[in-house]
Amino acid sequence: MQETLNTLLARATAELPVLKSRADFEAAKARYVGPNGEFTVLMKQMGTVPKEQRPAMGKLINETKGRLQVQLDAALARIGDAEIAAQLGPAIDPTLPPPDTGPGTYHPLTLVREEMCRILRKAGFTVVEGPEVETEYYCFDALNTPADHPARDAQDTFYFPEKARFANLTKKTPEEKYLLRTHTSSVQIRTMLKGNPPIRIVSPGRVYRRDTSDATHSANFHQIECLYVDKNVTVRDLKALLDYIFASLLGQDTVTRFRPHYFGYTEPSFEVDLSAQHLPKVNKDWIEIGGCGMVDPAVFEGVGYDPEVWSGYAFGMGLERLAMLMYGIDDIRYFYQNDLRFLKQFA
Amino acid sequence: MKISLNWLKQYVRVYSSIEELQRAVTFLGFEVEGVESTALPPLTNVVVGEIQTRAKHPNADKLSVCTVDVGAAHGGVRTIVCGAPNCDPGNRVVVALPGAVLPGDFKIKQSKIRGQQSDGMMCATDELGLGGDHAGLLILDPAAVIGLPINEALPGGDTILDIEVTPNRPDVLNHIGFARELAAWLKYDVRFPEIKFRGKPDGAPRPDLLAGIRVDAAEDCPLYVGIAVTGVKVGPSPAWMQERLKAVGLRPINNLVDVGNYVMLELGQPLHVFDAKKIRGRQIIVRRAADNEKLVTLDGKERTLNGRMLVIADAERPLVVAGIMGGADAGVDDTTTDIVLESAYFRPSSIRWTSRRLGLSSDSAYRFERGVDPHGTVEAAYRALDLILETAGGTVVSPVFKVGRDRPWSREIKVTPNYIRAKIGFDITDDEMRDALIGLNLRITAEHDTPKGIEWTVRIPSYRSDLDRPIDLVEEVLRIYGTDRVPPATCAGPALIDGDDDPIVLFNRKVTDHLVGQDFHEVVNYTLRARSELATWVSDASAEELGLSNPFVDDQSHLRPTLVLGILDSLKLNQSRGVAVSRLFETGRVFMELSGTVQECVGVGFVLCHNPQDRVWLARPAPDFYTVKHQMGILAAAAGIDLGRAELVPVRGAFWGWQEGHSAAAGEMKDGWTARFGLLNLAMVRAAGVEGQVWAGMFAILPGKLAAAGAHPRYQNFSLFPAALRDIALVAAAARPAGEVRAQLLTVARAATSATATGATFSVEAVELFDLYTGAGLPEGKKSLAFSLSFRSAERTLTDDEVNAAFVKIQQDIAADGTLSVRA
Repeated sequence: MQETLNTLLARATAELPVLKSRADFEAAKARYVGPNGEFTVLMKQMGTVPKEQRPAMGKLINETKGRLQVQLDAALARIGDAEIAAQLGPAIDPTLPPPDTGPGTYHPLTLVREEMCRILRKAGFTVVEGPEVETEYYCFDALNTPADHPARDAQDTFYFPEKARFANLTKKTPEEKYLLRTHTSSVQIRTMLKGNPPIRIVSPGRVYRRDTSDATHSANFHQIECLYVDKNVTVRDLKALLDYIFASLLGQDTVTRFRPHYFGYTEPSFEVDLSAQHLPKVNKDWIEIGGCGMVDPAVFEGVGYDPEVWSGYAFGMGLERLAMLMYGIDDIRYFYQNDLRFLKQFA
Repeated sequence: MKISLNWLKQYVRVYSSIEELQRAVTFLGFEVEGVESTALPPLTNVVVGEIQTRAKHPNADKLSVCTVDVGAAHGGVRTIVCGAPNCDPGNRVVVALPGAVLPGDFKIKQSKIRGQQSDGMMCATDELGLGGDHAGLLILDPAAVIGLPINEALPGGDTILDIEVTPNRPDVLNHIGFARELAAWLKYDVRFPEIKFRGKPDGAPRPDLLAGIRVDAAEDCPLYVGIAVTGVKVGPSPAWMQERLKAVGLRPINNLVDVGNYVMLELGQPLHVFDAKKIRGRQIIVRRAADNEKLVTLDGKERTLNGRMLVIADAERPLVVAGIMGGADAGVDDTTTDIVLESAYFRPSSIRWTSRRLGLSSDSAYRFERGVDPHGTVEAAYRALDLILETAGGTVVSPVFKVGRDRPWSREIKVTPNYIRAKIGFDITDDEMRDALIGLNLRITAEHDTPKGIEWTVRIPSYRSDLDRPIDLVEEVLRIYGTDRVPPATCAGPALIDGDDDPIVLFNRKVTDHLVGQDFHEVVNYTLRARSELATWVSDASAEELGLSNPFVDDQSHLRPTLVLGILDSLKLNQSRGVAVSRLFETGRVFMELSGTVQECVGVGFVLCHNPQDRVWLARPAPDFYTVKHQMGILAAAAGIDLGRAELVPVRGAFWGWQEGHSAAAGEMKDGWTARFGLLNLAMVRAAGVEGQVWAGMFAILPGKLAAAGAHPRYQNFSLFPAALRDIALVAAAARPAGEVRAQLLTVARAATSATATGATFSVEAVELFDLYTGAGLPEGKKSLAFSLSFRSAERTLTDDEVNAAFVKIQQDIAADGTLSVRA
């Protein structure tokens, strides 16, 4: 008996470690410990063993069974591991590049616009939009630009034929012409006519000038403009906001200054210069970055606000110019060519 | 506007350095666009020399070898190699000797040029820092002393400031006006030129020269002054006048013309000088032109006038386009002996209109259209008379004709210092403000105590018609105080203001974030496109509506109806530069024509380019229609549009730019939105010069349809019991859209599970297509669509029996109309 058990165990020890598949294992397992398995048969022979030998024999069988089970468990674990390994395939090479295109990128003008909007949002400004095709009223008249002002000339502004009809725009008079807005200031008027002060808005958007395209000029470009209307707004408040914006955008070392200027819709009016020597490729002491001023009382009267009660400031600047300064870009046309080698530099 | 510093110094003391002066001009509100100096910097070892001989360089075609006498003190005659065309013997020139350092740190040394010894350099103006060109050597006066240091030979010089004057300040378009500004800044007084003529002519009346002046258009010409002078002698104007005119870029002509220009640039009043003999009928008439009346102007061009334009005419013909340009045959010439001097005030808008309409501008028109001092007319005429008598002689003839009124000017503005402080937001003392105003000749004529503090009455001079309201004085005070002195402050914590960002902004952010996350690159293209390109995208009638009336260039004449056009440009540019590109998108406005009107829409467009030649080590499936449909669904959802519920129409016929059978459209502009997506027309893509297949999508929506963020969604309870699944395959006509079959199946399934049909109390939860098959085993022209139906109850686990009963009914009912059959 003992010999038979040892032989059986030796055979299992030889056979089980080389089994290849789960099916082979199941078959082998059945051969040993299945209902008609060899080991099962031996166990059933216990009844024929003389009574005095039974404890020793029982012990022997139990030990053998234990060893057999260890062999079976090991075989099953090994086959399970092999199966997982087969599912996985060969190991990856982590240094191979992903074959997918990407990552995607935001256009630098979007990045600058959104950063400005984020900065202004902290100062309480909400973002508004307005149409790019405008009427003369919103683009000029309401902004205190006289009918024969040179800026309105067909030489500088894109107009549409008299018969043109734009469904989402209403003319004040039949003679009024449609045009492509020359600045985002038209959105100021739309906002003031729609709501009541206090108003605090930022309006980014595309504007158009009838101009030659070169390294610094583009037939369409983008502006970002702010309007704040409240009681007791001062020149100093305007300066404070500009200081805050440019320090946030370009760093604490950025300094701004006002130069007197003239715009029809603000009084007093200023041009804003900034000094940002810490930026790369900035080789001028002062760089002109935008225009601003205190909203002209005539503009308030035009939208039905009492200039004795309300005061405010407005400022605007070119997004391209800002982006060129921030990133050290020296030609405005790169923004519109969309060479991926350009676009990928700002993500 | 060019300002000569030498000229300016006649009226105001300028001690400051050029840098300080530039700063003053800048902070007065005038941009300095350029500074040019005609003065030499101090130069050592640069002397006057005379060229003695010139020979061709043996080894260079364009070079000469000259001998130049630079004076005994500097070594006598030297050999110098020169490349200038005008190094001819006898010319006295500027010689930089070895050891000299020219502007730009250009050191002169003895050297060999193409094997030839050269002992210095002869200089052109640019090499001396005098600007100008490099065309030839600066040739000096033949009397210049040989060997004299150049700073002694060419003393003096001038500095010219090129100033940008804003349109509200026509009073500064002249030297006196500019001196007034500078005087206010420097706190000096302006010295005005003394005017001797006081309106009392010496000469007897000469009706044979000028009998009278008539103004027929007083509205456009409120004041016209005409004065005749007899016995003038035409000749060159004096050197000092020529020098000043040349310094600011004007060519001296003769004493009479030069005086006119001089006074314009001194006082700002444009003048005109007529040859009295050429005034037919001895009568000057200021009138409107007749329609189609012709006049050849000084520039030799024939101008066709109309009835809105003002002319200065004689009894027979127009002589001058009033305030803009004289006629070719009425001006003074070398034989002129008697003249009529004109000084007038013309209505600015009249001059501007005429100047624009004729496409004719001039220094005179530039000033009149911005507005000259309405009370300087007579004074300027008198100043010009002084200068004419001084430079051309002659006698002023009686009378001084003056037609119209010098309207009385008395403008006063009442302002309180407290108002000014409130507007600027920081403290400036009353005294500082008073000084600033007085410096600008804004006199405080009265002071009153009011409840708002002391109030000033400020008198505005006639040349400052831009000052009209208290706020205008705030700017004047701040300008003189210094706008760079606005003290820093922290940004005040704002009160919250209603409202979120505009729905357009929110939409753009959403789609941009999504597409960038999907590996798309954002591009930005121009809004204006060529008319010819539009034909691929819209009908001729639509294209017509999108055109500008005054495009600047032909290929930017129409509004874009789609963003795809621009994106294709970007695709092409990258491909042609060998930059691998596959996914691009753009957001922006697009313009859609709908029954004769144009709608400005919010748009987004994207392309997915697949080029089988692109080499990758591990291939990915190529994009297909369903790739773009998936993206389009997400973009539409960002605008609140459920593309799954919209009717999708495959492209048939003229859907502009899209490949028939491989693209689809949803929504129409009359619903406020539209989506087009699929494969771009292969022929069009090839014609555009783009390689490979381009899958694309465009979405446009009216801004008004983009709803502001709505209420939060409400949670819907869902069943915790398991679903029962049944699969069904349906055979349908091959051309029948799968969406239609699914809709029919859904209707039938809903009916079969409704309480009235089988007593069921559960619902069909989903009907999903999972297989599409055509080919063997199916009749010709048919396809098989396999759907998975999922049933579920909110209250219990469904039994096989009840689900089977419903499924059997579905199988029977779906075949009822004969268009579908259940595949066994």
